[in-house]
Amino acid sequence: MNGTAPASFETWLTARPDDRTGAGLDWLEARRRSALDQVREHGVPSAKQEAWRYTSLKRLLEQGFAQVDDTVTALRLDDIEELLIPELDSHRVVMVNGRYTPSLSALGDLPHGVRVTGLRALLANDPDALRERINGVAGERQPLFAALNTAGLDDGLVVLLDRGAVLERPIELIHLSVGMDEPRVAQPRHLVAIEAGAQATLVERYVSLGASLYCTNSVLELSLGRDAVLKHDRIQEESPNAFHITGLYLSQEENSRYQGTNIGLGGAWARTDLFTRFQGEHAECDLLGLYLAGDRQLMDYHIDVHHAVPSCTSRETFKGILYGKGRAVFDGRVVVAKNAQKTDAAMSNKNLMLSENAEIDTKPQLEINADDVKCSHGTTVGQIQPEMLFYLRSRGLSAPIARRMLCMGFAGEVIDALHADALRERVSEQVGQRLESAPLT
Amino acid sequence: MLSVKGLRANVGENEILKGLDLEVGPGEVHAIMGPNGSGKSTLAHVLSGREGYEVTAGSVTFEGQDLLALEPEERAQRGLFLAFQYPVELPGVNNTYFLKAALNSVRKSRGEDELDAVSFLRLIKEKLKILHLDDSLLKRSVNAGFSGGEKKRNEIFQMALLEPKLAILDETDSGLDIDALRVVADGVNALRSPERSMIVVTHYQRLLDYIEPDHVHVLAKGRIIRSGGKELALELEEKGYGWVVEEERAA
Repeated sequence: MNGTAPASFETWLTARPDDRTGAGLDWLEARRRSALDQVREHGVPSAKQEAWRYTSLKRLLEQGFAQVDDTVTALRLDDIEELLIPELDSHRVVMVNGRYTPSLSALGDLPHGVRVTGLRALLANDPDALRERINGVAGERQPLFAALNTAGLDDGLVVLLDRGAVLERPIELIHLSVGMDEPRVAQPRHLVAIEAGAQATLVERYVSLGASLYCTNSVLELSLGRDAVLKHDRIQEESPNAFHITGLYLSQEENSRYQGTNIGLGGAWARTDLFTRFQGEHAECDLLGLYLAGDRQLMDYHIDVHHAVPSCTSRETFKGILYGKGRAVFDGRVVVAKNAQKTDAAMSNKNLMLSENAEIDTKPQLEINADDVKCSHGTTVGQIQPEMLFYLRSRGLSAPIARRMLCMGFAGEVIDALHADALRERVSEQVGQRLESAPLT
Repeated sequence: MLSVKGLRANVGENEILKGLDLEVGPGEVHAIMGPNGSGKSTLAHVLSGREGYEVTAGSVTFEGQDLLALEPEERAQRGLFLAFQYPVELPGVNNTYFLKAALNSVRKSRGEDELDAVSFLRLIKEKLKILHLDDSLLKRSVNAGFSGGEKKRNEIFQMALLEPKLAILDETDSGLDIDALRVVADGVNALRSPERSMIVVTHYQRLLDYIEPDHVHVLAKGRIIRSGGKELALELEEKGYGWVVEEERAA
């Protein structure tokens, strides 16, 4: 869009109030209105705000995105075949431009006590099931993009596991974006509740057809009950011209275990906010991340882990490979409350710079208010070491292959955390391809 | 096979090699001995193409080709191998993956087919045995967390796999106890053949008890000041380097 940028992100919310999803539900309308008020209060955050200190919103604002409100029905399964990973053997949910698309999905048989459905459908059939879930983890006061998502709430993935339910196969969400004539934003809202003792694996993939320009502003609310286990693989492979925003809100009860592996490969501008709140003791949260920031790409991560109760463990392990004029931001914060004794937290951010023109702003922080804790943080920014490169070349490997091998070695720790070989292979291949064409200056 | 003539090389402002001559024929094992700082490792590095050295004069031909004009990987592909004094740790780089890529790169340049997974594994297991290495090594990252002895054995293991025409062993004995030294030397001896030449760079005579050289050269201050048979090594052991260096000065 040409001309002056709009003065706020309110233009994203174009859904007509009379027929939007769940329009007749008073509680939902009240939450939307409150969210809209918050969007207006937030306005356009400036660089003076800590959360936006390193990342300009100018480019995003200039696009003049409007919310997608039509369903794409023309797509057939063969159109998306190359995006599928058959070896994953998943319960597959496909969303196109933010809308659940049953014709492309293949849920298969779900075990007793497991509900996987679209948010829109559930709001129509059983809205009470969602009343406690929407904003249940994110809370009523939300940052700008989460508030936008709530104000424009339309569709998303809902996964509900009853107490003790165990899902053997992974649930796979493929969020597919298809370019439209006008620049559009999809705002999926995903709700995942794993009740006490239940176990699941969730794979979330953001993909596109073609190199179109669009925006995805997704919000996930995840709650893990007592002893619940969730393994969560997130792979962002948006189009090179896309904008991607994720706000992930995680709440963990006693003794629950969460492992989230965040792979960020695509998009021109990508922002990820991860919030973890421990609600019960002896819970474990393992957050891993791998990002590639290539030429003119921005990868921006904000991690906020709150140890509000004693004896929980968290790991934040993020690795970045930057090349060309790539930029990345890592802003990690672990807060240990006064009573959260025996907290065990370790945060690390390591960056491999393949070019002198790439830029990283990394800021891991610990805020410790208890005295009997084990906490650490560390950050590194480095280049490929010449002696490593020479070692590989002395064994007959060309410099570009040697360089890629070292990058893959660096990234391996995170890629290995993905739950299935098929995913590890796909991500390795994608990383390899991107590095192959990576400019080194 | 290898012909070094009047080689001069600098590291920064300092001239380390000052007109070095060396001829290595097929199947010959040459030991290069010398005190610390004499230029032994510089010679090994210049031959293998490591950055940071400037050749200011002289020539090196390897099988009739100008070796110095080649990239390090091209030298390796043509049959040159350097066993590092300090093998580099490569965290996250899987040993099997690395070995397979290296072997296939070298095979490809020799005009041979790439090995499939089964033949590769068979070959690798056979070579591991020679070096008394456990196959758990294949699952680990290259040299990462290896003991000193394991690293050196891993070097010779790679040499066994890549089957070079000319191997340069740079202080392979350093840091090894006598048992490890014996294993490494046995590995090297198993690879001796009429087509394969070796340059064994060492400070001590000890290694040469196990790897018997055809020729021994004494390197001092960037030049080879004395050459002889294996008895020269014994003489050095007995009299120390001061002896040849003094003699050279007097001459």
